[in-house]
Amino acid sequence: MSQREIHPKFAVVGHPNKGKSSIVSALAMDDTVAISDVPGTTTKSRSFPLKVDGKVLYELFDTPGFQRARQVLAWLKKHDVSADKRHEVVRAFIDVHRDDPRFNDEVELLEPIMQGAGIIYVVDASKPYGEEYEAEMEILRWTGQPSMALINHIDVHDYSDAWKRALSGYFHIIRTFNPMKHDRHTHRAILESMAQLKEEWTAQVKASIALFESYYEMLQQRSAQTIAQLMIDSLSFVARKPLKDQEDEAVQKRRLEEVYKESLRHFEHTAQRKIDAIWNHRHLEKSQEEITFDQIDLFSEESASLFGLTRKELMVTAVTTGAATGAGVDLLFAGHTMLLGGAVGALVGGVGAWLSFDRLSEIKILGKKVGVRTLEMGPMKNPNFPYIQLGRILYYTATIANLSHAMRKPIALKMDRAFKDQWLDDTTRKALEKFHKRSREGKVLSEEMRKSYEALILERLKVLVG
Amino acid sequence: MDLKSYIDLEVLLRTQPREREVRRSFGLAHASLSPEDQLQAWREKHLHTLQTPRLSDRIDHFLYGVSIILLIVALILGILTGVGLLRYNGSEPVNLIYFLAIAVLIPLVSMVLSVIAMLRANRAKNLLVHLSMAYWMERIVALWSKESADALHEVRINPLVANWIVIKRSQSIALAFSIGLFLALLGVVATQDVAFAWSTTLDLGAEDFYRFLHTLAWPWRTWFPEAVPSLSLVEQSRYFRLGGGVSDTLIAHASLLGAWWKFLAMATLFYAVLLRLLLWIVSVKGLTRALHTAMMSLDRAKQLLSDMNEPYITTHEQNEDEKKDRTEPYQPSGVHMPVTAYDMVQGWSLDEDRLRFLCDHFDIEAPVCFHVGGNNTLEADEKVIEESSGSVVLFVKAWEPPTMDAIDHIMALITKVERLVIWPIGLEEEGYVANPRSVAVWVRKLTPLINEKVWIVE
Repeated sequence: MSQREIHPKFAVVGHPNKGKSSIVSALAMDDTVAISDVPGTTTKSRSFPLKVDGKVLYELFDTPGFQRARQVLAWLKKHDVSADKRHEVVRAFIDVHRDDPRFNDEVELLEPIMQGAGIIYVVDASKPYGEEYEAEMEILRWTGQPSMALINHIDVHDYSDAWKRALSGYFHIIRTFNPMKHDRHTHRAILESMAQLKEEWTAQVKASIALFESYYEMLQQRSAQTIAQLMIDSLSFVARKPLKDQEDEAVQKRRLEEVYKESLRHFEHTAQRKIDAIWNHRHLEKSQEEITFDQIDLFSEESASLFGLTRKELMVTAVTTGAATGAGVDLLFAGHTMLLGGAVGALVGGVGAWLSFDRLSEIKILGKKVGVRTLEMGPMKNPNFPYIQLGRILYYTATIANLSHAMRKPIALKMDRAFKDQWLDDTTRKALEKFHKRSREGKVLSEEMRKSYEALILERLKVLVG
Repeated sequence: MDLKSYIDLEVLLRTQPREREVRRSFGLAHASLSPEDQLQAWREKHLHTLQTPRLSDRIDHFLYGVSIILLIVALILGILTGVGLLRYNGSEPVNLIYFLAIAVLIPLVSMVLSVIAMLRANRAKNLLVHLSMAYWMERIVALWSKESADALHEVRINPLVANWIVIKRSQSIALAFSIGLFLALLGVVATQDVAFAWSTTLDLGAEDFYRFLHTLAWPWRTWFPEAVPSLSLVEQSRYFRLGGGVSDTLIAHASLLGAWWKFLAMATLFYAVLLRLLLWIVSVKGLTRALHTAMMSLDRAKQLLSDMNEPYITTHEQNEDEKKDRTEPYQPSGVHMPVTAYDMVQGWSLDEDRLRFLCDHFDIEAPVCFHVGGNNTLEADEKVIEESSGSVVLFVKAWEPPTMDAIDHIMALITKVERLVIWPIGLEEEGYVANPRSVAVWVRKLTPLINEKVWIVE
């Protein structure tokens, strides 16, 4: 028996426009599935295998909705057979109507089921139960395949109770699942339900659950690496521009500052696209304008106020870091400095933070003596900027990581200062400052330090992504 | 691991497309190898894709050329320095302190600086490295070789590797110089009678100088005592220029003065050649290690290793959905207001009680109401169609999209009636007023059927 025949398969079926593709999109973590509020968007069954190194662990099928369920059921009922032979009648229906355009959708949706797929029947509980669904459920019963019902909530109204009563006559397992609010926990819960459909599938689906857990870990790890890279690139970036004799120095300085800022914006944008790709949200690019933090620019005061530290927080951080550095000097002299090192360190750190709160980086003029003048800006000296940049990209990553792949509407990135409290506590701030200070001083992070920085970001990301 | 492999890998990582599935297959096939060996195996597999002459060959050729020139120059300089220092005109002996300074003191000082440079090699701005002639040489050569300059600019060599290349080259140059010095000593001693002596302004007695030399000779004094000057030789070899020439004592012991050469040869061999050779070996090892570190810290190499060694998980189709998104902007069409009196009311999947309620609600008069669709048998629906005539209202649930089952019924009705009004209704909670988006779905589906006979209510 080939591998294709032994792995668990699940066909997501139902009435047209009840969110089948959304559910497949969410469970397959694939935002390429065509989802539309126009019925009949799916006309062919489409397979979504979960593959690990080429081995299929399980396979999902997105299928068209029932179109002529009553006619199909009438055809089946014409064949008076015992319950154990009913699946053969369904198979015969497929064989007879394979080339009949009137039953194209039914053949498409029944075919994977008759090839051994478990049934996931999707209904929309925000709309009332209707008797027209009974023909569909009866057809599915004729297939003899293990089945479960998924109650989706597309809209605001709730008819779940009526639906549960109706579905319980046809399905042993009934679960509620909103693909738009899908996360790793609901994903796990649905997979666990799918594992119960058939005993032979349990081990493989359970293995898939474990795999998904490590998959999520891997995505978080890659996100942390991308974020760390963004921070290193941004904080160490140096922009240069030749300054000719006839050029106005002030104008050129302003231009260089714009180039510098634009480069940092570009780094952020590139990192966002990488995060999209890591979490399989490549199609978000289409609605790119909607995901620019509600037009909050990286260098705006609003951004600083939402994501950055306050002047007081920054002072405390700088004073603590400065004092720790100074204390090292005190320790070196066995305390004979009367703790002056710590005091001076704290003072220098605090004053530095106060003065550079609003300043990005000074613009230097190089090469005055040799006659070829160059303007240079960077690396980033503003002690607040790393927190703004990190806050923004963490917020973006958390939003994307928690975004359902079934979501097709533009996402709104609106937030308040409460977000900062979710990821940035005093301990984290002090730990981060060690790295940021090094970058401000123009020093390169060693491989070990970079790994520590990544680990710190990963830890914070886990708090946000869950 | 050598520089060529590092450059090849860096270029390949930049130019090869990232195909995760292919990389993972490669990783699985080479799972038993260490990460570095995996990278090397990957490099070897893709080497044929690089254009020839490869960038690594061009750079290696250029660096080799620069190194060879420097080595030859250093060797010649060493020989010339040695010959110059040992130049004996027959009137004044050769002051061996000069030679010791070049063969022992300067090598020791430069070796200490080399060790410091090695310890600080991981800093991009390493002053000791930048001071070295070996650092500037290729920049100078690149000035008149545009091709070489282009090749150097094409690759971004890690600063750590660049530092170790300079350090290794410095050691090679110093070693070549020392060998030249040693060869000069042997050559001069073999071809001339050189009278060695020592002379210094410092208040240094023969005994002190003897102790100093004895200390210098510690590596070989036990197994090669002939190469250690005796106290008497030291005493007899001292001379002062004051007085206008060589003293009688020196002349009396002229045959003994040549015995110094063994000591000088051993000092040169040990301090200038052997110790330098040791440092050269360390620099070779350091460069190999730096190349390893640099290779493993390449972002693309890390990515490649992670692609090779992490399970390749896909949850989606490789080819994107080819179906077109059929969402189209809603444009109201075929909207007609109904009259209030009809010959028949039908409800698609709506029971007769609900139909009567809807008629009251919308102030519609009709003598008969029929439930169609839903749980009805096909025969029951056909019977209703047979009985249909005149003006008919068909209530449909706006929230349920039109299935082909409903369309079949509508098409059958059209053949029987004079006027058909399709009325999508909303939810009870919404006062049976249909959501415009839902109505739009019905309008779009029924548009081919809408004419003066078929109306749809918005």
